[in-house]
Amino acid sequence: MGQTISEKILAKHAQKSEVQAGEVVVCDVDFAMVTDTRAANTIKMMSKLDRESLKFTQNTALVLDHYSPPPNLEAAEIHQKMRQFSGEAKTHLYDIGDGICHQVLPEGGHLTSGDLVVGTDTHSVTYGAFNAFGTGIEGSDVAAVMATGKLWFRVPESIQVHLSGQLQPGVWAKDITLHMLGKYKAEGLNYKAIEYVGSAVSKMDIDDRMTLCNHAAELGAKAALLEADQKTFTWLAAHGAKPPNAVYADHDAIYSFKDQIDVSLLVPQVARKHEVDDVVGTDQIDRQSIQFALIGTCTNGRLDDIRQAAHILQGRKIAKGVRMIVTPASRQIYLAALREGLIEILTSAGASFEAAGCGTCVGITNHLVPGNRETVISSANRNFKGRLSNDEADIWLGSAATVAASALTGFITDPRTVDGGLWRNV
Amino acid sequence: MTTNVITGKVFVLGDEVNTDLNCSSKYLPGKDSAYVSTVAFEKLQPGFAKNMSDHQGGIIVAGTNFGINSSREQAVHVLHLMKVKCIVAPSFGRQFFRNAINNGLPIIECDTSQIHANDELMIDLHHGTVSSSAGIKLAVKPLPQEILKIIEVGGLLNFITKHPDWNFAA
Repeated sequence: MGQTISEKILAKHAQKSEVQAGEVVVCDVDFAMVTDTRAANTIKMMSKLDRESLKFTQNTALVLDHYSPPPNLEAAEIHQKMRQFSGEAKTHLYDIGDGICHQVLPEGGHLTSGDLVVGTDTHSVTYGAFNAFGTGIEGSDVAAVMATGKLWFRVPESIQVHLSGQLQPGVWAKDITLHMLGKYKAEGLNYKAIEYVGSAVSKMDIDDRMTLCNHAAELGAKAALLEADQKTFTWLAAHGAKPPNAVYADHDAIYSFKDQIDVSLLVPQVARKHEVDDVVGTDQIDRQSIQFALIGTCTNGRLDDIRQAAHILQGRKIAKGVRMIVTPASRQIYLAALREGLIEILTSAGASFEAAGCGTCVGITNHLVPGNRETVISSANRNFKGRLSNDEADIWLGSAATVAASALTGFITDPRTVDGGLWRNV
Repeated sequence: MTTNVITGKVFVLGDEVNTDLNCSSKYLPGKDSAYVSTVAFEKLQPGFAKNMSDHQGGIIVAGTNFGINSSREQAVHVLHLMKVKCIVAPSFGRQFFRNAINNGLPIIECDTSQIHANDELMIDLHHGTVSSSAGIKLAVKPLPQEILKIIEVGGLLNFITKHPDWNFAA
């Protein structure tokens, strides 16, 4: 019987010739990651096991990204425990300023095509951009992986989304994912593995491919995978990954359904306040003012995102009354942006840069709190009420280009109108 | 340890309950599980935790996608402290489903439209039946044997301590 990419990866890691959706399998895990938000729980769970029994820690990383830098003593103490545990158990460690887990894992060469990778964060689906099965887990799971090298999985049903056509200039993978959220709704693809294929995927660079897979978390997906191609192999080799074991679906693979989207027709999309699936084209938004413009996060804090913003803001100034903050997803991205002169362009335009990490994504650290009745446009992945620690503020989501265009005008703005000069008429 | 037959009073919650928001300290930093267990679901249904505590726990019957957006294992620890014996819902958030199993909290996926607050429920995990004091009897697809085994021994870490080779047949 034909198998999907997900099924093939899970079958191989379970030493089976094939698996079926719904089946529970025990798989060898190639790499596991723990973030600082889950470290306290994970280390607590680990303490239930004999330290000597943790035989698989060399294929794990502890990442200090959400509380970066630590906003209070509690977070600082979690970081101290992580450094100590990492030293004792000999795991990899990424300290504050190194970057977001989903960026530093691929950059650190910890995964390759065909791998099975787990992490204590729902956006672990990002690794699918490299043709790896990546999925979110919790502390007990990590403890089990460190002790046995294995974990249980319920094989998900797969769906295939064919992205045909070509994105218009100014339209990005983020706009496809927001369109998917509008279409299928939040959690609308719960438990499922999405496989994106088609010419539009082939044309995307790696940064955009990571966005495409990353945002599948909001659809509820267990994994989101792409086929590997020469771009994938080149990127992986440049980052010191193991040789790839690329996995392709069989021509008669069984999908619970298939969909096709012609991306040529897409205009830049935004998710309106509070609901990640209340999605409309920027052309439908009439003078919605903003006070904060945020670029960063594991969804859109990569070099291509910073380039988009710099392209729009070069030689210009952001609107009066708007505060713009850029958080590169990793130290490597920060350095690349520095070398390209992007930091100078954006800082001159009125934006502020902060150290790489999860930054302005979530209010658990009170990293950034908007004022009452203020509106934020963010390149992040979640916008529910209170996400930035204030129920009285609104958060809208868009691509990095849409965020930069909106910072320029002070209103939610279609980035395609900026270079045409229309923004001057707002 | 969990027995195969669970009985208890029904406490109803609605659709799309986000346990991160309502049943963990994700947005209540610095608060421990014991505190959260006294205020869990308060925003959705004032007095819910107290009502449950007054009855020494019971069975939560919810709507679609219980535990959406939620990845914190702590939510299940809080539910244990509230003496929740089982959760019945048409569907669960993916990570919540996993966390419940890993922490030995039985969960059942089935249509809950005929189950009402204050019913007494009897759930047979192995045979896949849910019967209520109101006379409703539902056949549900039993959880896979491997998952039942993990729940039975009280969660994943108990399981791998007993079975480091992951032998479900033992």
